[in-house]
Amino acid sequence: MSYPTMAGFIMKRPWLKNWMIPVAKWYKQAAGYRQLGLRADDLIPEENETVLLALKRLPPKEAYDRIFRLRRAFQCSLAQTLLPKEQWTTPEEDRLYLSPIIKEIEAEKKEREDLDVMVPKKPATS
Amino acid sequence: MLPNTGLIRSAQSGLRRQCLNTTIQHRGLAAAASGSFSYETGDASGVKFASRDIPGATTTLAVVARAGTRFQPYPGYSEALHKYAFKGTTRRSALRINREAELLGGQLFAYHTRENLVIGAKFLRDDLPYFTELLAEVVSQTRYTRHELEEEIVPAVQEERKKLLKDVHGMAVNSAHAIAFHRGLGEPLHQTSSVAVNKYINNEWIHDWASTAYAKSNYALVANGAQASEFSKWTKEFFSDAQIQTRQNAPSIDSTQSKYHGGEERIAHDGGNALVLAFPGSSSFTGGSWKPEIAVLASLLGGESSVKWAPGFSLLSKATEAFPGAHITTQSATYSDAGLLHVSVTGKATDVRSAGTEVVKAIKAVADGQISQEDFKKAVATARFRALETGQSTEAGILQTGAGLVHGGKAHQIDELGTSIGKVTESQLKTVAKTLLEGKATVSSVGDLNILPFAEEIGVQV
Repeated sequence: MSYPTMAGFIMKRPWLKNWMIPVAKWYKQAAGYRQLGLRADDLIPEENETVLLALKRLPPKEAYDRIFRLRRAFQCSLAQTLLPKEQWTTPEEDRLYLSPIIKEIEAEKKEREDLDVMVPKKPATS
Repeated sequence: MLPNTGLIRSAQSGLRRQCLNTTIQHRGLAAAASGSFSYETGDASGVKFASRDIPGATTTLAVVARAGTRFQPYPGYSEALHKYAFKGTTRRSALRINREAELLGGQLFAYHTRENLVIGAKFLRDDLPYFTELLAEVVSQTRYTRHELEEEIVPAVQEERKKLLKDVHGMAVNSAHAIAFHRGLGEPLHQTSSVAVNKYINNEWIHDWASTAYAKSNYALVANGAQASEFSKWTKEFFSDAQIQTRQNAPSIDSTQSKYHGGEERIAHDGGNALVLAFPGSSSFTGGSWKPEIAVLASLLGGESSVKWAPGFSLLSKATEAFPGAHITTQSATYSDAGLLHVSVTGKATDVRSAGTEVVKAIKAVADGQISQEDFKKAVATARFRALETGQSTEAGILQTGAGLVHGGKAHQIDELGTSIGKVTESQLKTVAKTLLEGKATVSSVGDLNILPFAEEIGVQV
């Protein structure tokens, strides 16, 4: 499931966007996941069918890297440490790799539901 | 309350077109527009098309591409490509395509043969524009996504493999083709192992293959039950710019002339017994080496009964009357530049063995001219009937016509075919049977190898 976001609302308003971007950057860095080598999309809860399906659809390399990051983060968490600074996730690396797939699957599901409840109306044939 | 405006719009536009075409709508079933069995052909900026207007309320429309297993660059590619038909395109999802077709009361189909890949639809006459557009979209804008391949196509290919491995007759025919033609026409129709899936099939490569298979010069559009003017109008509208994007690594089509080799293969199998005895045959009518006498020989040998509760009157059914455990069919498989005349015997191992010997004896009898005038006449009539009946039936007719257009630029005209079979003489038949026996045969046995005969034991050379 993709998480709730106000990004769309903010991106539409340039003044708000200019004001929010530094705050967002600060917030992401302060959230702490980058210091464990994770990406934002690694934090999406995976205990539901949509995300599980999206994980299956990941390219093999992406899936492997994701598992690696998760295990490394667990290890850090157990050892009560952070990664050395050069291994922190950089803002460039912190890209969305999973949420586009999740959105696609959500769109598919929505389409299916819409088609299921649709009532076709035929105009009276002449 | 309905967010899916795209569907409504297209359904509405389809309906609007229906209302405009009131002339078509009011025509009764029996009133033929032209009622000809010949195809009218045309060309829409590089796409060849043919149509015939057989009277009726429904239309069958299909794209026939020169992309069967014979031309595939790697194993399983034609199968994967045909299963990608009607999957998601850049404009709509697979689900929407299917639901829309359902709403209009249409049926979508896709299959492949050794030489051709066919994707098509059957629908009510008035929906021609919608389905023409759909086929153009499938041909040019399918997305070939990885998840569709992994979630739907690969399991389907694997199921086909299981089905083939259970079917002794299918395996024997595949094996006979492989022995007879080695590569090309010898490629199996479905996979016999997982190698294709594990090693060769991936969505990018299939996309490359699609860009070759669906290049404009490589397919033809055939309609059955559509008015020629109407059909050519919509084809021009939708197919003119339905060009699949060319891709860098697109494989080229290898159309080397098929060569007959011959030989023997024996495969142990627990699920039944099949013996396929094959000889070099005739190409299709539109192909280069069309030999009508092969078609006559096939129906002369026969094996299957055309009446109920009787073994039948063809040479093979008479010769093998004593072995009711064996089922015999004779088929002349025709391709664009070669053919395979094959007799298949399936059933109880001992009966298959004895019937196999009888088959060879029967062919020898034909070569020696020991067939009655009456049998010969019956065979010619049956061969003509079969050829004409196939040409007349919608699906086979579409396949043959499309193949004719795309392989030789000539539509399959069944009237000429019938005449050509009618002209076969007895001496021609004798000569062809003699050449078959003198050349190398192809023998493939699948089943209980302890009982099934070797080629030499039934008296043919391999």
